[in-house]
Amino acid sequence: MSDPETLQLEIFKDIQSRLSGRQIEVTENTPLIGDLSCLDSIQLVELCLALEDKASELGFTFDWTSEAAMSKSRGMFRTAGALAKEFLAQRESQK
Amino acid sequence: MILVSGASRGLGRAICERLVARNHTVMGLARNVEGLPFPSMACDVSSYEAVKNVAQELKKSGAKIEGLINAAGIASMNLAVTTPPEVTQRIVHTNLLGTIYCCQVFAPFLLRNKEGAIINFSTIAVSLGLKGESVYAASKAGVEGFTRAFAREMAGFNVKVNCIAPGPIETALLQGVGEKQVADIVSRQIIPRQFTPDAVSDLVEILLDKRSSSLSGQVLHVGGA
Repeated sequence: MSDPETLQLEIFKDIQSRLSGRQIEVTENTPLIGDLSCLDSIQLVELCLALEDKASELGFTFDWTSEAAMSKSRGMFRTAGALAKEFLAQRESQK
Repeated sequence: MILVSGASRGLGRAICERLVARNHTVMGLARNVEGLPFPSMACDVSSYEAVKNVAQELKKSGAKIEGLINAAGIASMNLAVTTPPEVTQRIVHTNLLGTIYCCQVFAPFLLRNKEGAIINFSTIAVSLGLKGESVYAASKAGVEGFTRAFAREMAGFNVKVNCIAPGPIETALLQGVGEKQVADIVSRQIIPRQFTPDAVSDLVEILLDKRSSSLSGQVLHVGGA
């Protein structure tokens, strides 16, 4: 249920569900910010709030307002894979 | 819950007392919260970490935040050329960065509810370009610009963001400003009289109220400018 691969897939599915029917396959390299982002800014914030809730269910706190999150070049919003990786890293660090 | 920074004195304290009197749940933030007659948490808003720590505590407690009032502010009446760099930095850190940090960190609480109001504080010194207040005015001009842009970012979440820009209000912030100077500034307002913290609290109540839901990204001048 909560192994890293499953969690990553769940996050990708969550992103997919926010694409309003657009046929885009969400992969590790799908950009979440910038001109090529599949989400608009409101959808991105809603995704973060949903991940906060998911983290809470899993017993940890997901912080998406950190300094790293704000940086486009190396931040967690760079791609769907980076976001999933950060989510998993925060879970690991709070075990 | 309504979060109010700068809650230990001046406008922030007056606003807290008014909101408590209106049966709002208030959480005051200030560097020194000793003896405050309403719930409060110690927080130096010029420190991003301090603001984040408060947010984490509030999150743990399950607090639902409906309003954020960024009333923390400092001033130093001085010519720009005689303002020491550390004073300039302190003013910008508290007034501008403090406002931005609180908005960044606490806005997600309001986004989650898809409802709420954020009120920032500027000053008449911005629109009048007051001599001896250039650094203070610069920090507050930043707050006005931030408010207008941030209001657009929050609009999709039904969160309104406005700014109150008072003239010389009778608070501790005005200490060190001569009576003649106060009278001169007041005479340049559209309504040329000095207002009290009560007038600002009235405006805060209006901006928090759902009936002002059509108002966002605005700078409202107490006394008119």
